[in-house]
Amino acid sequence: MRLVALIFIVARLLCGPAVAAAPTPEKVLANWYRMVLELARHTPTYSPPVASRSFAYLGVTAYEATASGNPDMQSLAGQLTDLSPLPPRDGTLDEALVLHAALSEAVTAFFGNTGPTGQRAMKALDRQMNESLGDALDPDLAARSEAYGRAVADHVIAWSKGDGKSVVENLGFPYEYTLGTEPWSWVPTSAIPLQQAPLMPGWREMRPFAMPSGAACPLPPPPEYSEDPASAFYAEAMEVKTVRDNLTDEQKQIARFWSDDPMLSPTPPGHWMAIVLQIMARDRLDTARSTDALARLGVAVADSFIACWDTKFQYDLLRPVTYIRRVIDPKFEPLLITPPFPEYPSGHSTQSGAAATVLTAVFGEGFAFTDSTHVDDGLPARNYPDFWAAANEAALSRLYGGIHFRAAIAQGLAQGRCVGAYAEALRTLR
Amino acid sequence: MIRTTLLLMTLATPLAAQEVPNYADETSSSDLTATFAGEWEFIVGGGVASFDCNGDALPEIVIAGGTNPASLWQNDSIARGPLAFSRQKDTGVELTSVSGAYALDINSDAITDLVLLRVGENVVLRGLGACRFRRANEDWGFDGGDAWSTALAATWEKGQAWPTLAIGNYIDRAEEAFPWGSCTDNWLHRPEGNLFAPPTALKPSFCALSMLFTDWNRSGQPALRVANDREYYKGGQEQLWNVAPGEAPRLYTESEGWGRLRLWGMGIASNDLNHDGYPEYFVTSMADNKLQTLAAVPTDGSMPKPEFADVGFKRGVTAHRPYTGGELKPSTAWHTQFEDVNNDGLVDLFIAKGNVWEMPDFAMKDPNNLLLQKSDGSFVEAGDKAGVASMQTARGASVVDFNADGLLDLVAINRNSPSEIWRNLGTASPANWVSVVPRQPAPNLDAIGSWVEVRTGEITQRREVTVGGGHAGGVFGPQHFGLGAATAADVRVIWPDGTASDWQPVTANRVMTLSR
Repeated sequence: MRLVALIFIVARLLCGPAVAAAPTPEKVLANWYRMVLELARHTPTYSPPVASRSFAYLGVTAYEATASGNPDMQSLAGQLTDLSPLPPRDGTLDEALVLHAALSEAVTAFFGNTGPTGQRAMKALDRQMNESLGDALDPDLAARSEAYGRAVADHVIAWSKGDGKSVVENLGFPYEYTLGTEPWSWVPTSAIPLQQAPLMPGWREMRPFAMPSGAACPLPPPPEYSEDPASAFYAEAMEVKTVRDNLTDEQKQIARFWSDDPMLSPTPPGHWMAIVLQIMARDRLDTARSTDALARLGVAVADSFIACWDTKFQYDLLRPVTYIRRVIDPKFEPLLITPPFPEYPSGHSTQSGAAATVLTAVFGEGFAFTDSTHVDDGLPARNYPDFWAAANEAALSRLYGGIHFRAAIAQGLAQGRCVGAYAEALRTLR
Repeated sequence: MIRTTLLLMTLATPLAAQEVPNYADETSSSDLTATFAGEWEFIVGGGVASFDCNGDALPEIVIAGGTNPASLWQNDSIARGPLAFSRQKDTGVELTSVSGAYALDINSDAITDLVLLRVGENVVLRGLGACRFRRANEDWGFDGGDAWSTALAATWEKGQAWPTLAIGNYIDRAEEAFPWGSCTDNWLHRPEGNLFAPPTALKPSFCALSMLFTDWNRSGQPALRVANDREYYKGGQEQLWNVAPGEAPRLYTESEGWGRLRLWGMGIASNDLNHDGYPEYFVTSMADNKLQTLAAVPTDGSMPKPEFADVGFKRGVTAHRPYTGGELKPSTAWHTQFEDVNNDGLVDLFIAKGNVWEMPDFAMKDPNNLLLQKSDGSFVEAGDKAGVASMQTARGASVVDFNADGLLDLVAINRNSPSEIWRNLGTASPANWVSVVPRQPAPNLDAIGSWVEVRTGEITQRREVTVGGGHAGGVFGPQHFGLGAATAADVRVIWPDGTASDWQPVTANRVMTLSR
């Protein structure tokens, strides 16, 4: 079944009989996150780091809008870097409208630069939700609920503006950049002019959410660069080439399933968000558990990109396609498009490790699920016995895709585990 | 690689390096005042059809109007003089919701007809002569449907007396909040005698913005190249359909060599740039325009695989950001057309540019490109020097000789601002040219699908005669060739059935009709 249809059907079940029933908070959440995944795919600046940042702030927005009306939930203010206490509530509010207003405000802000179709879509969803929610409410209750939801969003939006990365220019590529000159230095791998400089070299300077600094989860250096066939580095490259030359259909499927290219998918962070949305629908989670998962996942993944970028630009390592063509096989062609930034560690591995860590904390060990994220794009659903099985497969997919060496994958997962522990430690549900 | 190098080394009689043509903005003096207008449903489209409809050999233009009525502008220019147009009333084209227009002679009566692409029902207009048209959907069995149509290509399949039209459709416009993934089916209107049969859906369809029937492998059977907008499809890619007579169309696959390419495909131009007999394709997009050439041309006479390499970066035609005006953000490309604007014998490239609509991450002041080809096969930007670097939001365009002086002029259709037109005043050192009109007995009088070849010295330039491509419109008329300093050339036509005419000598600076 198509992912979107599944989310909608379950959201409809959650809100009971279709006739005259105003959307529940669960449906509000599902609808807006469906929109968010589409916008992440269709907004040109939404590279994986940028997407991770917005997912974190949106998750916190949804969580705080919900937590402020639920005594069993603890605010993240004081736990996340520089997040001050959220505005207090005044009286009884409608939870669905609070959540809708908060997400409408926040999504509009974080996707303010999306194109005309996205702008039109956001307005249409906002209008549709307002009509279905507001009609059933006392006008005063509706006005106060909407005002409070927007106040929560405005608080988070204001907080976000202090993280140093609220403006993205030139699709994230620096106008000027001096490439490294060492034999191991990263070399542009694309013929696209913008990509002659790496994506977001300054992303490691972003204010982290839960971890103390971008350097909180350092990694050892990758294997020492060498063109000696007896070296560990050469052996890693040979592994990439050998795997590429002997890819099975299953390995190709895995590589493409986790490819998660910007502008062609909801990005790697969005892929993990989609997994949570599917679990929310399947298990009919209430908004407390859902927003806990979305917020902590958002925080973990966003921090993982900061940590990963810190390491990437520390070591500035070239990609397999560069080394293999230079040293082993000039005609080498990886299965996937090589991303335009340094190799070590693997970003998808780091963020998947962080995601698996925090989702295991939220949902428990041995939590099996089916991932239908890319069914609409023609890639069949895949089943996983737990989150780490998915994370390990996501990481390994980069080897199958020919875009990462083994060390970047293994160390990326390790870095993600470290980063995820900070989000795991957040106090949320009492 | 070798073929390219060799051919470029032997280019015939090139003039001094890339002489820049001087274009004069004659928008105001020409009295052309049409505007393609509209909001979301007209973010794409804005095409223009250029063709002669009154028999004076000067092309008229039909401009899509969006929420304005489409308009037909009679070309009142004096030969070799300033451009002048007058809007004609009650011509039959004055429909609203028109996104594009293509001209062709559907019923082979020697009077050009029109297809209007619309947001709503598409309409075929039968040419009545004297630039008058009449709706022919019912008479010709044409089901105009109800979609957001954005692309067209036409061919005459072997043995058919009537053309096959491919029409590209865009988003399901009823999907307001979640339009992504809602691409509607493209249609193939094949003939049924001297009528159109009910259209068949080209599944899968991925929000086409340009289509071109083109004989990419010189098999004699044009295939359908489709440029698709990745903004809206899911699971999609660029497409090449094998359209064999009497068979259901089928997509070329990865196992045959077709490489998966995903871009914001908006326009297609083709030309045999490297003189190897096979066309190159320039596909416009947002910051990642592609110039595709066959990855390998077999030397054993076998057919090439549909595998293309992108040589845009190498050739200097990426045109990925504004080159003047101060903006550094990526740019957005629409109509594109290969033409020799300085007649130096090296085909140049025009690209219409303009922001989609309030896309803040892309340039708002996005000048049109005029890329002049150099003798080494690379291109150099000359839009600003030539005077066509308009910062308006362009969509469709035509590069065509409006005043019969052998210099290709330019009209650009802008979204929500008036169209612009420029007269080509030529270069400091005038060069020679020839235009060729291939004609054959009915059906397909205009020999769509033929190849016109012009030989000067050791170089043979060639152009495929097509209907389609560009963005939502195109030129229907003589095939223009620059000859450089050459004062004569040999011309022949490879007719759609594959037979070749004899080489015929032609003196420069004239329009030549080559009849079968």
